[in-house]
Amino acid sequence: MTLALKSVRRRRIPGLPLRFALRELRSGLRGFYVFVACIALGVMAIAGVGSVAASLSDGLAHEGRTLLGGDVSFSLIQREAKADEIAFLREHGSLSVAATLRTMARASDGRLALVELKAVDDAYPMLGAATLDPAMPMRDLLAKHDGASGDVYGAAADPTLLARLDLKVGDRVTVGGATFEIRSAIAAEPDKLAGGLGFGPRFLVSIDGLRATKLLQPGSLVRWIYRVKLPDGATNDRAPAALVDAARATLPQAGWEIRSRDNASPQLARTITRFTQFLTLVGLAALLVGGVGVANAVRSHIDRRRDVIAAFKALGATGRDVFAIYLTQVMLLAMAGALIGAVIGAALPFAIVGAFGHLLPLPVVPALHPGSLALSVVYGLLTALAFGMWPLGRVHDVPVAALFREAVTSEWRRPPLRYLVWMAVVVAVLIAIAIGLAYDKRVAAVFVVASALVFALLRAVAAGMMAVARRLPRPRATMLRLAIANIHRPGALTPSVVLSLGLGLAVLVTITQIDGNLRRQFMAALPAHAPSFYFIDIPSSVSGRFTAFLKETVPHGTVEDVPMLRGRIVAARGVKAEDLKPSQDAEWVLQSDRGLTYTGEVPKGSRVVEGHWWPADYNGPPLVSFEKKLADGLGLKVGDTVVVNVLGRDITATISNMRSVDWQSLGINFVLVFSPNAFRGAPHTHIATLTEPHDRAGGGAVKDAAVVKAVADAFPMVTTVRVREALETVGTVVTNLVLAIRGASAVTLISAILVLGGALAAGHRHRVYDAVILKTLGATRLRLLGAYALEYLMIGAATAMFGVAAGSVAAWLIVTRLMTLSFVWQAGSAAVVVVVALAVTVMLGLAGTLLALNQKPAAVLRNL
Amino acid sequence: MDSLIESPSPADRSSARPDSISISNVDLSLGQGAARVHILKDISLRVGAGEAIGLIGPSGSGKSTLLMVMAGLERPDRGEVVVDGVSFNALDEDGLARFRGRQVGIVFQSFHLIPTMTALENVAVPLELAGVPDASERAARELDSVGLGARLHHYPTQLSGGEQQRVALARALAPDPAILVADEPTGNLDEATGQQIVDLLFTKHVERGMTLVLVTHDTLLAQRCDRVVRLRSGRIDGPAASRHWIETA
Repeated sequence: MTLALKSVRRRRIPGLPLRFALRELRSGLRGFYVFVACIALGVMAIAGVGSVAASLSDGLAHEGRTLLGGDVSFSLIQREAKADEIAFLREHGSLSVAATLRTMARASDGRLALVELKAVDDAYPMLGAATLDPAMPMRDLLAKHDGASGDVYGAAADPTLLARLDLKVGDRVTVGGATFEIRSAIAAEPDKLAGGLGFGPRFLVSIDGLRATKLLQPGSLVRWIYRVKLPDGATNDRAPAALVDAARATLPQAGWEIRSRDNASPQLARTITRFTQFLTLVGLAALLVGGVGVANAVRSHIDRRRDVIAAFKALGATGRDVFAIYLTQVMLLAMAGALIGAVIGAALPFAIVGAFGHLLPLPVVPALHPGSLALSVVYGLLTALAFGMWPLGRVHDVPVAALFREAVTSEWRRPPLRYLVWMAVVVAVLIAIAIGLAYDKRVAAVFVVASALVFALLRAVAAGMMAVARRLPRPRATMLRLAIANIHRPGALTPSVVLSLGLGLAVLVTITQIDGNLRRQFMAALPAHAPSFYFIDIPSSVSGRFTAFLKETVPHGTVEDVPMLRGRIVAARGVKAEDLKPSQDAEWVLQSDRGLTYTGEVPKGSRVVEGHWWPADYNGPPLVSFEKKLADGLGLKVGDTVVVNVLGRDITATISNMRSVDWQSLGINFVLVFSPNAFRGAPHTHIATLTEPHDRAGGGAVKDAAVVKAVADAFPMVTTVRVREALETVGTVVTNLVLAIRGASAVTLISAILVLGGALAAGHRHRVYDAVILKTLGATRLRLLGAYALEYLMIGAATAMFGVAAGSVAAWLIVTRLMTLSFVWQAGSAAVVVVVALAVTVMLGLAGTLLALNQKPAAVLRNL
Repeated sequence: MDSLIESPSPADRSSARPDSISISNVDLSLGQGAARVHILKDISLRVGAGEAIGLIGPSGSGKSTLLMVMAGLERPDRGEVVVDGVSFNALDEDGLARFRGRQVGIVFQSFHLIPTMTALENVAVPLELAGVPDASERAARELDSVGLGARLHHYPTQLSGGEQQRVALARALAPDPAILVADEPTGNLDEATGQQIVDLLFTKHVERGMTLVLVTHDTLLAQRCDRVVRLRSGRIDGPAASRHWIETA
């Protein structure tokens, strides 16, 4: 007779796993330090990046009004606002006008420098204050004085310009046809960030001063910015929006770019979001590497606790009970690690402002950002869960027989299916969060796929390495034989070392390759046929003469000259620009004004890929050629219409063809190229490039200066931009970005080293046992040391090869696909990475064994 | 000793009460491939409720494995095990664990106390797992009954071997199981301490009237059981002998 099954059912006690888990933790954190550190590091990286970015965004939002210089700004390119437009703006609040353009400043000794000129009116700055050295009222700074040789206007110059031209306060410079006295150095402008990246140092003058330069020619590339400060009563959020709506409704033809205080620098805000995402992915990479440490730590913990687990089961605990106990324990530790990481991450913006606040060019408002912190903790916990689930699941099946029969303890099986399903669910949630919250979901998805691939490949590399070692003929040398046997024996370190070292190396190689390529791109050699100069603001009336002059000055040079206007796309395929839904890659085309040109021939560096080019003498309704990828991003096809606003007039053109453009040639290229008749009669300027045939490495700077001087002497209104200098400016920004990436990657590397150390330490017990037994049998310490070093060296070398290959492929993909730059493999940095990786592996591996080798066998044998 | 002598004879017990343990035609092999060993071979055995049996035999004869089969720790390849009226064949792993928690107390040779828990907490574990509300109080009473009332809050490492085995015994007894199985309970103790533990084991067996299955190499210890089962190469060696049979052998 048997009893019904329900007799052995019992009620579950809430809190029991927690109680038992806490008791289990009394044994201390031995074996869990790496676990906690890995989670803390990864969470710290993500929390830190999130907090700094949020503080920066807060700063931008908080300072939006000051950055913009008003509540709403209206900017126009190539033309000033008309009387009715100004009247409209004045109706709504206080108005301040500024104009910016790129031009050349000439010192009294004849030296020239490209400057970002900004002309302001008496109302500037309506918000915030400029930092001047010596300090003085803006009115005094910019006032016109009558000099012996004509009028002299006041100016403030960036200290960089003063250094570049050897100037000091009181010296004079000429810009165009006007003379300026530098009365102060300008250290900071309240509205600088809203302007974006400048290629030259700031030169601040009055509007009158600008007019006196005679640079304001029809079509010259001057940006006029009109800032409106609403009356003090209109401080609610709707007031700027109401003004924007009114401006669009009242003056639809103005073609101005309107920004309000809550979106002062959309480009900067977007850059921050995008960059935050990249750094978050780097943080996630750190967590993934740390996840291997988590898995290793949980596995060795479970190994050590097998007797206790079996005892629990002997006393009536079910497989699910013990799983719950150990899961709770692991999650408690993960929570501890995540909280440590989150606290450090949360402190990061405060630390940055505390340490570098005065140096930061950006407004960082440090604060606690619970959302970012909570997200980082969730990432940490999910990672711990995803990586801990497999070893934890095996707890379920630990046989109680382990308590009776020692031999059984080496049996490890795959965890029951339900835990694998749970693991898959956790991984899916982790992936969903990583991709779902990403700014660029495609990049996040590529990251996830690449990570999975690297994991799978590393497992395969480890398995392959063990299989090869198993099949190798037995070498005669004992040391080598022992080393090879250690690689493939059951319980070998190979899989965990390959995984941790391989992941760390792949990340390191990726970063160093990207780093090297960016440096090469922006700081070293220019592309083979890149021009050395750009000349802008060439009045169309003198463009022929200018080209001839350049050919005469640099006889072997190649001159390219095209007309250029600036215009904004205001509608396409019958849809207003603000209602178009462009892809992320194409958003920028609509966000500001674009350079436009017209020609009868297909431009150099372009290739028609769809539709037909118009005849050279075409004289029908305006046609336009669109860059193919961007047209796709905007959903445009051949035959669609595009409306551009140029100098306040809307011009409608039909897309007649699509081009693919080689942007990397650095030649003159445009997104939009119009048929020759499209802008007939519109005032405009030309842009030209000068490409020199010879290697400019030797004496380039001197020769360049001569060209700059010759052009400035003959054509004072033309602005010369040295491509090398412009690239260096971009390079400086890139260097700062790379620095941030390196910082975040350092966290990944520390994680990798910790995990590697942890993996090696986990095998330490076996290693000591082997060492002592072999010593007892007559092996010398040197021989053992040699064998172990050889083993680590072989594993390290094979893994390093894979790490270099995987990292190089990843870097190649990022550089060529995401950054759309050319890629050259950096052999030197790869070699350094391999050597360092081998050294670290061998040193970490031998560090523990060395201690064991120095002990007397008897003492160790007694304790084994 | 006295209590044992005064207790009814094994035959009386078996006939007076239903079987506490009934094992029928059990076969069990362990290991895989070439390493697979046939450990239990067609074993059938019935143990009456409240009976004490000693399992003896040389190393590798299968006595510990038979003990594990009785405690539901090892599933036979063939045959049926019924303990306290419940067929193990009808229980899954979790069902077996719960059954064990309530009906089977186990004492190990190496004690297997949980090092991170105090004596009191160790004894309370099976009660907590069974959802007993006053687990701590009952555990304290159980420890008191084995003479460790003053050592409740000591960790295993702070206790002597004998004390650790007392804690293990208290832990096995705490849920008031129907059967108590002990695997070489004195194997890791000196003679005097071992004797004390054995006395305690048998005292509790008699006090609570539970079935006792004792695996031992020690024939003197086996003599204290109502019946001795000798195993050899995975089979019961001859008819199960009574205590008197051992004494006269």
